[in-house]
Amino acid sequence: MFNKVELQEGVSLYIRQSDQFKTINFSVKWKTCLDESKSAHRAVLANVLQDSNSRYKTQSELRKALDELYGTIIYTDAAKRGDTHMVSLYAECVNDEFVNGDGVVDQVLELLRAVIFEPNFVNGQFDESIVGREKRSVKERIRSLYDDKTRYAQKRMLELLRPNSPASASSNGTEQSIDALTSEQLLEAYNKMIQEDEIDIYVVGDIDINSITEKIQKLFPFQARPARKRMTPEQMTGKDVGKVKHIREKQEMKQGKLHIGFSTPITLQHPDFAKMQVTNGVFGGFAHSKLFMNVREKESMAYYVSSSFASHYGLVYVMAGIDANLEEKAVQLIQEQLDELRNGNVTELELEQTKALLSNGIKSAFDSPRGQIEVFDQFKELDEHFTAEKLIAGWEAVTKEEIQKMASNIKLEIIYLLSGKEALTDE
Amino acid sequence: MNKIQFDNIQETLYTKTLSNGLTVYILPKRGFSKTFVTFTTKYGSIDRMFEPRGKSEVVTVPDGIAHFLEHKMFEKEDGDVFQKFSVNGASANAFTSFTRTAYLFSATDKLYENTEVLLDFVQEPYFTEKTVEKEKGIIAQEITMYDDQPDWRLYFGTIENMFHEHPVKIDIAGTVESIQHITADHLYECYNTFYHPSNMVLFVVGAVDPDEMIPFIEKNQNGKKFEAPHTITREFPTEPDTVAIKDRTLTMDVTKPKLNVGMKCNHTNIEGEEMLIHELSSALVLDVLFGRSSTFYTEAYDEGLIDESFSYDFTMEKGFGFAMVASDTDQPEKLKEKILQTMKDMRTKGQISDEELDRLRKKKIGQFVRSLNSPEFIANQFTRYTFNKMNLFDVVPTLEKLTMKDLQNAFQSIADEGGHSVYTILPSDQAQ
Repeated sequence: MFNKVELQEGVSLYIRQSDQFKTINFSVKWKTCLDESKSAHRAVLANVLQDSNSRYKTQSELRKALDELYGTIIYTDAAKRGDTHMVSLYAECVNDEFVNGDGVVDQVLELLRAVIFEPNFVNGQFDESIVGREKRSVKERIRSLYDDKTRYAQKRMLELLRPNSPASASSNGTEQSIDALTSEQLLEAYNKMIQEDEIDIYVVGDIDINSITEKIQKLFPFQARPARKRMTPEQMTGKDVGKVKHIREKQEMKQGKLHIGFSTPITLQHPDFAKMQVTNGVFGGFAHSKLFMNVREKESMAYYVSSSFASHYGLVYVMAGIDANLEEKAVQLIQEQLDELRNGNVTELELEQTKALLSNGIKSAFDSPRGQIEVFDQFKELDEHFTAEKLIAGWEAVTKEEIQKMASNIKLEIIYLLSGKEALTDE
Repeated sequence: MNKIQFDNIQETLYTKTLSNGLTVYILPKRGFSKTFVTFTTKYGSIDRMFEPRGKSEVVTVPDGIAHFLEHKMFEKEDGDVFQKFSVNGASANAFTSFTRTAYLFSATDKLYENTEVLLDFVQEPYFTEKTVEKEKGIIAQEITMYDDQPDWRLYFGTIENMFHEHPVKIDIAGTVESIQHITADHLYECYNTFYHPSNMVLFVVGAVDPDEMIPFIEKNQNGKKFEAPHTITREFPTEPDTVAIKDRTLTMDVTKPKLNVGMKCNHTNIEGEEMLIHELSSALVLDVLFGRSSTFYTEAYDEGLIDESFSYDFTMEKGFGFAMVASDTDQPEKLKEKILQTMKDMRTKGQISDEELDRLRKKKIGQFVRSLNSPEFIANQFTRYTFNKMNLFDVVPTLEKLTMKDLQNAFQSIADEGGHSVYTILPSDQAQ
């Protein structure tokens, strides 16, 4: 899919020449091993880098320059995937031919260079006032999760299920680790990121591969770096806590947020990965799945109910918005659906529908520039020559019996309910 | 079949109005694997008073009915329509807005089979008292879910503040109480009035060959019987320019206060080119006043009055329109003052420079071209534009010719203090 050039050891450039889109897309990804305080530093760093740089010293100046470049977008974010913390820098600009612009792409590359290599230093340090402001922003981002009850319940469930483990770690770190961050530490985080992280650079759009490669080589003088440390699969998945936990928490709210956590030995690297994806699809991945058809359509108990497979961590989640008084019934219904799979009660139709929708999902994902970059970046770790067709062939081969076997591997670990204070009395 | 070429953006649109009144649009996109298809009726939550087909008196239907009807379209005598889409590998969905109800799918395979499922399920209603009753539990959970979302409450609370009479102030899904009154007969009455092909648009974008798709749709439509098209009579109450409620506060379990300033637009009885100019100009004015390169943004962000949640937006349909400026903030009073002061300054001594207009015009053009990467954007927006007698592909040429006068008019339409309203959500532990 992508044309790969290794710029340096540990620094790769992936280019996809395509006239499918009207824009040119860039993404630079810095990858390192996940660690809570490092995450906090890098999240603030990502914010500071997108605020300003030595060429555009204020956010307003930078934004004006981007407006002039036909609304070019530049932004950063901090994310995690498996054992990896990732800072990404994205840029998207309109292809010159649509705006009679000249040299927009070249100017965007120059700007990216400034964002990466020419920070807004004052006496060799990041500007204290900017650092203070962005620390506050990231802290508020972490805190605001509380206001989104579905996301909050999911976070709580994960913290209870896998405490102090990559599965429950926040890509923004914690409020405490952000408070403790100094400008010196931020500078150190910056230097380490630029010098030591594994770097993947992506370009998608109607560009000339050779000329863009040359420009990036010239403008982004990253040094070689050794391969980064990786976690073992056991470190990544964390440990089963043993006895099934049943936890209820309350806030002022109306709906009951039911989040159920299961574990499975199957992960992204496991040979049965494709089988578990199909199993999750039959269970609760889609609108034809057992959860949707039974919990919603048959019993009218929920508006949303679905399952997802977090393959890096060997976890399967179910989430549903229910009347909290009906928790017991909902949990039972959900478990019954999983039992159906374990007993081999899967129809040919369900299997066919699930495979068709998985296939549609991956093919559709390539219909956006960001989708091409993100999907490839995720799967290239398994196979540099990864294609949608290979994944689809993997799903196609899955049988009913294999789903039965996979479902028997899914083990209930936690039932978590977040609900309103008046909704129910404790047992 | 008409073929319209838009050279500046390198797109070609094919269109045909069929004999039953349905208008079909096809936009092939090179390089795409998927096809995105929407089938939309010009019928949304605000259409609650109307003359039902075949009757001459205006009725008022229960709140939330357009959305309820959307849900019920998916259930048929032989089961759930999602099942059919799934077996053909299509991901299907639907949504109801103030003015539209759209049914849609996205597929990378079996385009014709899926298109047929879409056309047939939307054109073959099946409602019984039993299935209607069953849906009430599901929709009650949907409404409860929204009740717990502070950003939704903030958005809708501000709209409720701004409007005295106009049904835009009624929640799209209705209330748990109002939906209890909905019957199968109501659904048929609404269906028969608003789902006639002449009140609908089919949009196909992505991997599609218009020379095959248009005859395919035509054949499907010719195989069905429809009554003659008729003009739909809708009734709307008179809405004053001033807001109904100036200021209101709600308490929720949130960590930080949330503030929304609504500014009601007093120039909304428009459509076509006039509307396009007005809404693009309004969006540009908001960029000038509140955009990331504005003085307001720089100061408010530096002072810690706004954070990453800050947003602003302009919404317009024929008959109503409003701007909103919102953020989570520790100092709702101060932020409110600053937003209103920014409006006041523009009103009294404000000027927009030519340089600013040109810069933001460029930004908007780029933004629009970028959004053409998205089949979803094209289908949804094109349909919305068509229902308001505008053409989505006129956006760039219209932006190019916008004048300072257009921006001034747009600003004037949201500038009156009497049209401004504030809604605040306070954390429960901060409220007295």
